[in-house]
Amino acid sequence: MFAEQTAIAMLALAIAGAGLCCGLTRSHDVLRAVVMISVVELALAINVWARVLAGNGSVTAADEWIYIDAFSAFHIVALALVFALSSAFAAVYFATEVAEDGFGRASARRFGALWLGAEAAMLLVLMSNNLGIMWVGMEATTLLTAFLISLHPSGLSLEAMWKYLIICSIGIAFAFMGTLLTAASIRSGNAAAQALFWNYVAAPETRLDPTLMKFAFVFVLVGYGTKAGLAPIHSWLPDAHSQAPAPVSAMFSGFLLNTALYCIMRFVPPARHALGSGFASGLLIGFGMLSILVAAGFIVFQRDAKRLLAYHSVEHMGIIALGYGLGPLGAFAALFHTLNHSVCKSLAFFAVGRLGQRFGSHDMHRIAGALRADWLWGTALLISLLALIGVAPFSIFMSEYQLLRAAVGAGAWLPLVLFLAASVVVFVAALRHLIDMAYGTPGTGARLLRDGSLALPIVAVAAGLLLVLGVWMPLPLLDAIGRAAAVVGG
Amino acid sequence: MQPLLNTIQAVGLLTCFALLATSRIGACIRWLSFQGILLGLVPLLLHADGLDLRAVLLSSGNIALKGIAFPWLLLRLRARADFSREVEPFVGYIASILFGILALCLSVWLALKMKPALGRAPFEMLDASILLILVGLFLIISRRKALMQVIGYLVLENGIFLFGVVAVVRTPLLVELGVLLDAFVGVFVMGIAIFHINREFGSMDVDRLTALRG
Amino acid sequence: MSKFAAASFLPSICALVLAPLLPGVINRTKAIVAGRRGPPLLQPYRDLVKCLRRGALYGEVTSWVFRLGPVANLAALLAALLVMPLGGIAAALSFKGDLIVLVGLLAVGRFTTVLAALDTGSSFEGMGASREVHFAVLAEPALLLALATLARASGALSLTAIYGALTPSLWVAVSPSLALVAMTLLVLELVENSRIPVDDPTTHLELTMIHEVMVLDHSGPDFAFIQYAAALKLWLIGTLLVGLAVPLRGTWWVCLPAILLGMAAFGAVIGMIESAMARYRLVRVPQFIVGAATLSVVAFIVILA
Repeated sequence: MFAEQTAIAMLALAIAGAGLCCGLTRSHDVLRAVVMISVVELALAINVWARVLAGNGSVTAADEWIYIDAFSAFHIVALALVFALSSAFAAVYFATEVAEDGFGRASARRFGALWLGAEAAMLLVLMSNNLGIMWVGMEATTLLTAFLISLHPSGLSLEAMWKYLIICSIGIAFAFMGTLLTAASIRSGNAAAQALFWNYVAAPETRLDPTLMKFAFVFVLVGYGTKAGLAPIHSWLPDAHSQAPAPVSAMFSGFLLNTALYCIMRFVPPARHALGSGFASGLLIGFGMLSILVAAGFIVFQRDAKRLLAYHSVEHMGIIALGYGLGPLGAFAALFHTLNHSVCKSLAFFAVGRLGQRFGSHDMHRIAGALRADWLWGTALLISLLALIGVAPFSIFMSEYQLLRAAVGAGAWLPLVLFLAASVVVFVAALRHLIDMAYGTPGTGARLLRDGSLALPIVAVAAGLLLVLGVWMPLPLLDAIGRAAAVVGG
Repeated sequence: MQPLLNTIQAVGLLTCFALLATSRIGACIRWLSFQGILLGLVPLLLHADGLDLRAVLLSSGNIALKGIAFPWLLLRLRARADFSREVEPFVGYIASILFGILALCLSVWLALKMKPALGRAPFEMLDASILLILVGLFLIISRRKALMQVIGYLVLENGIFLFGVVAVVRTPLLVELGVLLDAFVGVFVMGIAIFHINREFGSMDVDRLTALRG
Repeated sequence: MSKFAAASFLPSICALVLAPLLPGVINRTKAIVAGRRGPPLLQPYRDLVKCLRRGALYGEVTSWVFRLGPVANLAALLAALLVMPLGGIAAALSFKGDLIVLVGLLAVGRFTTVLAALDTGSSFEGMGASREVHFAVLAEPALLLALATLARASGALSLTAIYGALTPSLWVAVSPSLALVAMTLLVLELVENSRIPVDDPTTHLELTMIHEVMVLDHSGPDFAFIQYAAALKLWLIGTLLVGLAVPLRGTWWVCLPAILLGMAAFGAVIGMIESAMARYRLVRVPQFIVGAATLSVVAFIVILA
């Protein structure tokens, strides 16, 4: 009972917050409001999660238009966590710009409204039971986040924004085609199934036409895969991530890409019922491998730090997709990896963003001696990049290890070998960049920056999570991820 | 009913070719508007079991949006943001038309493959929708001006909308309205983006947006 | 099987006698629209007789190919007349696949004219020949597809049978396709006979000519043959269009006046098109023809479904 109100409250709060930001007068007020709202959202999200796990496995609200099961609840909590961290970081990051008059009232209002609006849209996607409304939410995220990329309009950011807008709009249009084909493929079952309510579409008793479902899944994979950053349709990703301000990049990598993968996974149970488990898994493994290999290739030649992190995102999305294709154990590993990657990539973008402000550029040749120039964010950079390339004892090592076990268990030898090879390449390349950036003597170009009070807690929470989850999996979390995996893993 | 659907299919196919071959942006926008109005009539014609509120709402919403609102937005954008009124394609007009003919053959083939699974969908509308999707994609890839890319995107949307109308039984009205709203906001956002691009670069030529590489 | 009834020579006789009247109607229409009185309707006949009376002049560099050109062209068109029905009136010859023979004969005529033009060794004629063939490459598929659409619509493979089946009820049943075929045939008429907007028949600037420049060096009876063959071609493609557009079928004394009236109206329409438009830039002409080809492709696809 209370859980339904909580779910609706989360949506309403985010939308109200977006409206509120349009009316505030000072930039600092906007930033503070954003932080507070995101913390409240985090609390509400954890509440919903607890209720889903304690109850009968799902929360339904608003006449079945809202449906939160273990899979959605997990993603909602991860979303809220990343949002809270990123909002806090935005307060720190933009405070510097406000002090230099680079972030005026108009920019702040635009940022606040679009930021909270994007959170509301993503929550709509994660909570919606109706596949059509899920699509509407994804399209809304594209439109709302486009102007976040070009928050500070310049030639490069406008180019990144235009590429993002066009490529993702085409992708979303394809995803809509997939949704329509899914609806057209329903041969029998509830009328609600034909109205595209997921819990009826995915129910085993609904019969789906195999040919149409095949087309539908391919369209959905290619369409939502564009937004998820799967190769070869990832071309907007490096540009958008590198040109957006650091908090926005963190939100993109930390949560938008995962939301798109979530949408793809929602179509896997119906595909499995209609076509058997081989088809969807094979496609997921294929796209996953391609993403990992393409990203590994591009990481070697990177020069811009944020572009490097963007290609890491492509790689990790590929790893998650690979995991989803490797059966139940793989789905567990993929979900765990989702959480780890979100936290780790956010921390990495925070560190790079802050160091970029300090050194005046994101060019990796210009950033040197980060540990000495700024002990907090230098350490954050070191920890996050080490974690990202899979160094133990951080949690990404654990989730990748579980993925390898799943691959061995599923007998997927070729993906296993290719994944290991790509990981080695990425390890060496990224470590080389990291050592150049973290050690050495900082040049004279480093500026002095004052960190707000939120900086240390952000780094502590994020790094702490990465470290703790790498050595200890709390039982409630294990149970929650297991139940989430069961929804899509089969 | 059938001859009317045939006429709509024939004219719809012609609008696709017209969009591929027209060399002035204003004429392209007007062809797009005509296409939107034409395809907006299809929901009214398809429901042989009497007109219901849903079909009328869908039809009028689409005609208002795609036949009137979007072209008006695009014409305003063209007036404020562009100096030359030519399309300036990467792929020439004759090659575009030849591609259109190939796309037509491909769409007929695909529609024949899908027809057994989609019993109640009229064949003509199926292959028209696939052609619209292919032509929309081609316009996005092969045209130099950002405004033409938006027009290509709208043609793509038209194709998907037509497919939805003929192939799907009934999605809830809320979903349809959500889709229309998204399309509207999408075009609006793209228009603002083009305006900014034009202000920054002095032209809408996407060939200049190549600084970010690798 | 071929039918040799008396009524079936009617289309050929009408063509032979009335074909030169068509350019006369066109010129008269253009003049009236321009505010002049214009030449008399029977002027083309007088021009033909004038040319026949003169002697021909042959250049020293030309060979028998040059002499063959006009004769072969006329012969091909006379042969084409035999398979061409006039609306509902049967042609002298009809057999399955005679629509391909029609297109083939038109191609033979064009081929011999082009050879004769190349035989003169003059650059103007060569330029005209190259343009003519370029446009023909684009226009012939359009003509074939248009005829194929008509064949599919009426379910027959012989021109007489096709045109016999083009009744008003067929129009009602498949109007989009037939309308598109009519538009294609109109454009093809303008292309094949070098009318505005493809070519200006009254220009005196050789660099802008297409058909006129190919026949620049012919004189006397050869020139008469060429003029007469051009008029026959105009009539032929005109009957293709008017036979489609005037779907009156029945006994010959009912359809014949209707068709002849249709041809006269057709001439007037061409005259008005010529008066209202200017010639397209040469780069745009292929686009125009490909557009017409697209119309016929669309018509064919629509009729297939």
